[in-house]
Amino acid sequence: MLRKIIRKPRAAEWAYIVARVRVMKRKLIPKDEYNKLLNMDLNEIIRYLEESEYKNEINELAIRYSGVELLDYALYLNLTRTYRKLVRISKGLPREMIVDYLRKWDFWNLKNIIRGKMFGFPKEEIEKTLVPAGEFDEEFWKMLLARESVEDIIKEFAKKPYYPILEELARACPISEFEDRLDKFYYTSLASIHSDNIDIMYFVDFIRMEIDIKNVKTLLRLKLEGASPEEIAAKIIPKGYQLSESELRKLAAMDYEDMLKNLENYWFSEAVKQIKDQPLSKIEVFFDKVWAKRVLSRANHFPLSILPVLAFILMKKIEVDNLRIIARGKAEGMSAEEIKEQLVVV
Amino acid sequence: MPIEGMVAVGAGLAVGLAGIGAGLGEQGIGAAAVGAMAEDPTFFGRGLLMTVIPETIVIFGLVVAFLLMFM
Repeated sequence: MLRKIIRKPRAAEWAYIVARVRVMKRKLIPKDEYNKLLNMDLNEIIRYLEESEYKNEINELAIRYSGVELLDYALYLNLTRTYRKLVRISKGLPREMIVDYLRKWDFWNLKNIIRGKMFGFPKEEIEKTLVPAGEFDEEFWKMLLARESVEDIIKEFAKKPYYPILEELARACPISEFEDRLDKFYYTSLASIHSDNIDIMYFVDFIRMEIDIKNVKTLLRLKLEGASPEEIAAKIIPKGYQLSESELRKLAAMDYEDMLKNLENYWFSEAVKQIKDQPLSKIEVFFDKVWAKRVLSRANHFPLSILPVLAFILMKKIEVDNLRIIARGKAEGMSAEEIKEQLVVV
Repeated sequence: MPIEGMVAVGAGLAVGLAGIGAGLGEQGIGAAAVGAMAEDPTFFGRGLLMTVIPETIVIFGLVVAFLLMFM
């Protein structure tokens, strides 16, 4: 964990990882290319991606899968490899931060395995959902899949500092609550890091802003679904950047219009101003766009820090999500306009 | 110490300190250049050019040293 690292990285260490990441970011699909992709059919999209960074993964998986399924697996395999590469090429504090941030994928896999086991899904089905982009590799997750009970799965994390929390959650919570509390644990453990090291402060601020975005999206979704303030409060992740837990509780108790007015006072106000009378799917896209813009602008303001790396991690995930949306949309026969509304292009 | 000795020390300091300064300047640029080249070898030319820019400081140091020694 980050707290153990005391030595401040030299500027040269940041320069190396940031330069590599900036070159990797140049290889992401440019904004204008999405218009081209929207006018292609599924096979043309696959051919287009065969000439891009996804070439190896598509060629590897083309024997086993085709169509949307091929794209899904190829995109996630590429995402996994890209994230693992970031861990491989970094060292010291930058590496610790990247591993800590990518731990969300470890928890994602753990949740999928436990949920799959509880509902009796076959191993092959669960394996398809795994994204070994975090600290543990594919072999580790396959080994976990072979375990019979939830207790045995959790025991495999015995050497990790978060093992006591996992054990307690697995023992005490039903599956849905286990997932929520694991997310809360992930975010609050990172957001609670106290340090006067400026590099760590940038990282913690990033996490806290992500918490704000997650919370505001949860708040709006549950409000639109007509959930009670208590139900909303239970889903809130503490330690946001501007939105504290108590403010969120107050907002949850307001009616929808008042809540929107109050939300305009925060850093994501640009998204709030657009949401009037829009469906939830569009609202989430507005917030994702504002979040991506903010992350990119902060990465430009603080070039020798973890922020350009985190910006790349986010932009890569956004690209994969966009490509999956286009592929799924095309397969479902949606129009280019409808698909475009769901894309996060900044 | 005779004046020639002082001049020699001054010339040495001019080159030596300029070298340290250039080295400090180059460490970040060099690391970034190697990082960029590792991802895309076409950055070799630009990376090399950027890395040697702080070397100009050493040339100034060398010129000062020559002036001290031979003027």
